[in-house]
Order: sequence, then C-alpha cells, then structure tokens
Amino acid sequence: MSERLRAVSGQVIALGVALLMGAIIILMVGESPVHVFMTLLRGAFGDQEKIAGTLLQTTPILICGVAACIGLRGGMFNVGIEGQLFLGGFAAAWVGFTFSLPTGIHTLAALALAVAAGAAWVAIPAYFRARYNTNEVVSTILSNYIAVLLTSYFTIFLFKRPGGWSETPPILATAYLPEIFAFSRLNWGLFIGLLLAVGVALVFRYTSWGYGVTMVGSAPKFAEYGGVNVKRQGFVVLLLSGAVGGLAGGVETLGVHHRFMEGFAPGFGFDGLIAALLANGSPVATIVTALFFGALRSGSLLLEVDTTASREIITVIQALIILSVSAQVLVRRRGDSQAGERRWKF
Amino acid sequence: MAVELTGITKRFGAFTANDGIELAVRRGEIHAIIGENGAGKTTLMNILFGLLQPDEGSIRLNGEATVVADPAVAIKAGLGMVHQHFKLVPSLSVADNVFLGMEIRRHGLIDHAAQVARTHELSKRFGLHVDPTERVGLLSVGIEQRIEILKVLVRGARTIILDEPTAVLTPQESRELFQTLRSFVAEGMTVIFISHHLEEVMEVSDTVTVLRNGRKVATRPTSELSKDELVRMMVGREVSFDRRPRAALHGDVVLDVKDLWARDDRRLPAVRGASFSVRAGEVVGIAGVAGNGQTELAEVLSGLRPASHGEAWLKGRDLTTLTPAAIREAGFAHVPGDRMVRGVDRNASIAANTLMGRQHRAPWSRSGVLDWKAIAGNAGALIKSFDIRAQGAADPVKRLSGGNIQKVVLAREFTNGADFLLIDQPTRGVDIGAQEAIHSEIMRQRAAGRAILLISVQLDELAALADRILVMFNGRIMGEVSGDNADEDRIGMMMAGVLPEPVAEPLS
Repeated sequence: MSERLRAVSGQVIALGVALLMGAIIILMVGESPVHVFMTLLRGAFGDQEKIAGTLLQTTPILICGVAACIGLRGGMFNVGIEGQLFLGGFAAAWVGFTFSLPTGIHTLAALALAVAAGAAWVAIPAYFRARYNTNEVVSTILSNYIAVLLTSYFTIFLFKRPGGWSETPPILATAYLPEIFAFSRLNWGLFIGLLLAVGVALVFRYTSWGYGVTMVGSAPKFAEYGGVNVKRQGFVVLLLSGAVGGLAGGVETLGVHHRFMEGFAPGFGFDGLIAALLANGSPVATIVTALFFGALRSGSLLLEVDTTASREIITVIQALIILSVSAQVLVRRRGDSQAGERRWKF
Repeated sequence: MAVELTGITKRFGAFTANDGIELAVRRGEIHAIIGENGAGKTTLMNILFGLLQPDEGSIRLNGEATVVADPAVAIKAGLGMVHQHFKLVPSLSVADNVFLGMEIRRHGLIDHAAQVARTHELSKRFGLHVDPTERVGLLSVGIEQRIEILKVLVRGARTIILDEPTAVLTPQESRELFQTLRSFVAEGMTVIFISHHLEEVMEVSDTVTVLRNGRKVATRPTSELSKDELVRMMVGREVSFDRRPRAALHGDVVLDVKDLWARDDRRLPAVRGASFSVRAGEVVGIAGVAGNGQTELAEVLSGLRPASHGEAWLKGRDLTTLTPAAIREAGFAHVPGDRMVRGVDRNASIAANTLMGRQHRAPWSRSGVLDWKAIAGNAGALIKSFDIRAQGAADPVKRLSGGNIQKVVLAREFTNGADFLLIDQPTRGVDIGAQEAIHSEIMRQRAAGRAILLISVQLDELAALADRILVMFNGRIMGEVSGDNADEDRIGMMMAGVLPEPVAEPLS
C-alpha cells in the first residue's frame, strides 16, 4: 500500500513541478500565471456546457489511454495508437456511409470494423516483434505516418464528398452514437471509455490470462519459466491495444464528427499514451489523467479569447509534464535500490 | 585499527537490518563476517562503503572519524569493495576493465600498453592470474572476480571488502583466492571477508565477527573457535551436515534422458550427449564446477532452451518436444538456479509469486477467473509451513532476504503435485538455518516418492542428499558415484575433467 502511495505522491509532485515550470514560462511571455490557470479552469469547468466539452475531449484520450495501458501491462510500448485511431475512424465512417442498417446494429457494425482495423494495423509491427524481435516502439511510431497518410489518400482520392473539404460523405444517422445532452456533442463514447477502463482493470486483476500478461510485462523470464508463452502474449497484447486504439477512432467518428476528415483527431493517440504513463499503466487511474488532459485541451479554447497567451502554451505544459514524470520515475527507481546496485546503472 | 564501526543502526521501514553493531578491524588481518542470510552482513558493508547511510552510529577509517557519504569517500580512504555481482564491460579487455574510469593516458590517448603492463604486474604480484589482453566476455566467473579484485587494487585500496567471494568459485579457485588474500595481508593490507561458509572462515580468517538478526553476537580470534561453536553462534542451535538417513525407495523410472545435446547462448555445444535416468523416490545429484553445462541441461529439461539432439522422456512424453507450460502439465516442477530472474517477480507479492504455473488450475482459478482469496490464503499457509520470514502474503518478494526468497520458490514448486522435481542450486546464497530446512524438505519430497534431480556446485550438499551423484564436466557426464560413499577426491578429479580410472559410462 505504501508502495502505491509513494507512486501516487510521486506523480502528484511531478505534476506540481511541471505546472510550476509552466507558470515561469507564462511569466516569461508576459502573462500572469494565475490568470492563465484560472482561465484554463474556467474554460474547462466553468459551466455545464464547458464541463461537457471537457468530457468530450476526455473521451478519445481515455480510450487511447486504456489502449496504451493494455500494451504497457504486457511490457509493450504501443506508440502507434494515433495511427490505429485514424484507421479505426476511417473504417467506422466507411461502414457508416456505405451500408444502411438498422439503428444500433449499424453503430455496432461500424465500431466492430473500427476495432478490426486498429488490430489489423498493429498486427504488422506485432508480428515482426514476435517473430524477429523488432523493437515495437520504432515500428509502431513509423506506422502512424503511414496510417495518417493512407486515410488521407482514401479520403481525397477514393471517397471524397463532392465539394470543398477533404472529407468523406456523412454517415447515416443510424450509425450515430447517441448524444447524452441536448446542448453538447458529448455522447455514449464516454460510457464506452469508462466501462472499458474498469473492465480492463478487472481483467488484469482477476483473470488467469491477466496474471500471465502482467508477469510478462514485469518479469518476462519468470513468466517464461512459469509456462506463459511470452512471445504469443506480447503479440496478443499489442493486438488488443491496437483494437482499442481503433475503437477510439470509431467512437470519435460516430459520436462527434459523423464523417471522416483529414486530421480529424490530432494527437489524441499520443495524449492517451501520456495519460497512461502518468497513471503508471493503471486503466482506472487513466480516467483521472485523461480528464486532466481533456481539461487542458478544452480549457485552452478560452485561453486565446481571454488572455494574451497562445494556446500553444498547453503543448509546452504537456511537454513539461512528460519530462517531470519520467524524471520522477527514474528518481523513484533509484530510491528502490537497497544494495546500491541500481545507482550506477541507468 | 583499519576500520571501526560504532553503534551502527540501519532500518528499512519497520525492519531493522543492523541494530547497534560494533565492529573493529585491525590493520593487517583477515576479518571474516559471518551470519545467516538476512543477518545484516551486506547491509553493514554497504554502509561502510558509503552505498547506504546509517540511521545511527559512526565510522572511523584509519583512526579518523569519517562520514562516508558515498563510495568516493570510501575509496579515497583506501577502502575497496568486491561485490557479489560483478560490474564488468564484456566487450572490453581485462586491462581496459581494470582501468575503466581511471585510464592511463599518454598525449591524451589511452595508453593500452601501460595498462596491460600494470595489470600484468599486479596480477603476478598477488597471484591473480589473468591475461590482461583477453576480452572479459569470454572469461569465466572466477576470472571475472580476479578482475574485480584488480580493479580495487589499482584504485589504491588498502582495506578490501569481499562480499561472499566464494559463492561463484570452484574449490580450486577458492583456494587460490585464499592465497591471494594472505598475500594481501603479508603486504600489510586488511581484508574483510563476508561469508556463510564455515570451512572457509575457519581456514582463512584471523578474526571472526558473527552477526545474527541484525545484531553482533561476538568477535573472536578464529584460533579460539571450533566449527560447532561458530554454528551455534550463527543460528543459535546445533546444525548437522551429515548424510541424511533414508530408506531405499527406488521405484519406476520417471525421467529418462538419452544422448541429450544442447548449445549455449554463444551457440557452442554446452551439453554433449548426456544420458541418465531418475527413479521415483530417488535423488540424483549432478556435481560439477559452475558453467559445465548444468544450467543448459536444466533449461533444456524445463523447455526454456531447445535441445539440438536427443530425448528426455518424462512418463512417456518427450520433454524436448514440449513447451514449458506442457512440461509443467506433465508433472514437472523446477527450482531454478537463477532465482532472482527466473524464480520470482521481485516486485510482486508473495501471493502473486506462489501463483505462477498454476494460474489456470482450480482452486486458484475457475473458468479463467482468479480467486485471490484462495491464493492469498494458500500463500499464508505456505509462509507458515515453509517458515518464510515475512509480514504476510501481500509483502513484495523484494523485501525478503535471499534465503526467504528461495523458500517462496520451493513452497510454490514443491506443492505443485509434480512427480519430478528439478532442483538447481537450492541453497546458493542461503543461510545455514534455511539450508537445513530446505534439505529436510527435499528429503520429505524423496520420501513422498518424487523423482528428484539435484544440481549443485556444493559437494557437501550432494553428499548429504543424493542417492547417486553424476559428475558433469565440459557438457559430458564424466561418471557416477554412489552417494553412500561419496569420495570427494574422486568427484573432484572428475569435476576437473580427469577420469580416475577407465569408467564404463556412456560418454558418446
């Protein structure tokens, strides 16, 4: 328990340090940090519409975060969630505007294809990882570029809606994810994300399979010795992670945009990965960290209206968070060392 | 006095590793620190060397009160430490490793010739035979240790701390090490020697300090001590290392290995045509200097390494064709030699560690859903029955001492219901009290009709437990000796690759 407490307090301190450094930078661009942070807070949680807006931004980050958590638990760094999200988003849109199916079934079919597309997309790096021990970090990062450009190609050359924008025709209303409130585009995708986070946490904690995967992630030689097929589980974990990444794209398409367009969800995949890292790979804690990043994004909309600071300051703060969180993890690891072993090895 | 520690206390959370320890080491002596695992020996030495800071107490080095804030302070004061785990760069030469971080330079470039010459000179002076130009990656552990000692010497150490130096050595290498230690003392240097090996301590040390449960029990001149006394001080009770009594129980053949070959990580043949069998109710020992193919043999049998040729039949199934999971299903339990990496997940709880290998079986899981209550309950029972010193089943394994970690592994593997037990180095780095408990447990398993293959580098362990002892050298089984009249000389010769007489053994 104290172990967990230390982990949580470490992350909180890291966040604090990052915000402090962010405040200094805001001072340097000539704004008042208090004013900026208050504006952010107001922009994210000021009234019910703003809260809904924050939750709307939180949803894809949360689902992508859960995708990252699945990989991390099995020792796999899926940095290709962004690409899986794009393909999932396109696949869902394609089902949405190509077929006509009954309400509900249409949505499910579109989500199913989104999941399949995400899984299929990560299957390539996952196969090379399992077969040839290729570093999945590199191959999944690179697969992002192909995915983004491939979906652009589909959109512009194969399925472009007649007229101005680079976007597909709109999907049929039968494929929509229902909205929760009349005043916001916030939709059932949020529930999907929450259910997924809790469900994944339960699977890892309470199933034999989850136990094996966890061991592959934390002590691969021990898992191998105990009869877990390390390579196969690594493959499966990446596949599941990619599937959830694809789902995130499907949810975004069916719930928010109702079509696929170029650059429809920039950076959600990476934000999700960061949220998962900040949450130490725990899906439930990712709900909190995803909300934090969602609030940053949503609050930043008001930033340019009410302050002289640019929205980009949010990117700076995010980068500072990444830096301080990774530094914090290193420091904490050093604290673990009892025999002074680790001190010399980084 | 070379080293004086006064009232050293160190706590890790609620656990007190060192409790008011006093230690005075005279200049020019070999001072052994002996105690069970978890007695606080390594902690004390880490404090002395500046790797840990004491909560209370003070340190005097060469008569001067010193705050050893980090190892740099200790090194400056003439201390040197040879750790249990070596820290060498495999791709560099011996001399480059010795001078790593303090290279001899000429015109701004590394003067390799001077480094080689200086290494050669030191190695000759202290009988630490190494070839300074050879690459470290190709050398044995015994030689790696010599390099570690040379590193310490080159940094000007006058007081050398060795943490369990003989754990990785052959008897021959140990003897050479002891000669080296004596030559240090002859030059006026001081040696602090951590061990739990009684014979060694009696043989090599001038003074012994005994630690038990984080406290100092006594410091006495070695010449005034008998082995019995030493054991009593270490564990607080008598311990025997004699051959365990046994009834002949030989049943059917459980494991039958036929002409087994395998390669090591460098793709060189490591197991060369091993053939043997193990019967139910029999302990077959495998003796040999570490690195003669025992590890690879164990890995092939447990499915962690492919065989390049041959068969290993366990109750009608050829293990060389099965996955590790299928091998476990076939009734195979494995206590791995590398327990920290293979045997446990150090960060996981005791309960989670006892689950490995049985997570798909009732009552631990039903339809793929784990029953953590049953798992934790069982882990609690195992903690009691195997006398694992922990606060509870939720304790992470990394909080336990080496001996207790091994008990966690044994508790898991021995309660698996397997017919065949592969036990690799069951008591390496384990204190005497725990050793005795582990040996008793192995004999209980034998009495229960299990077939046991016991790999050990400790001859006394094999002599105490094994019905038959096979000696491995260079991947081959050199011969077999009955455990009842294990002749140490004969085994020793076979361990060194010498056949004492023409032996009718399958050598292939």
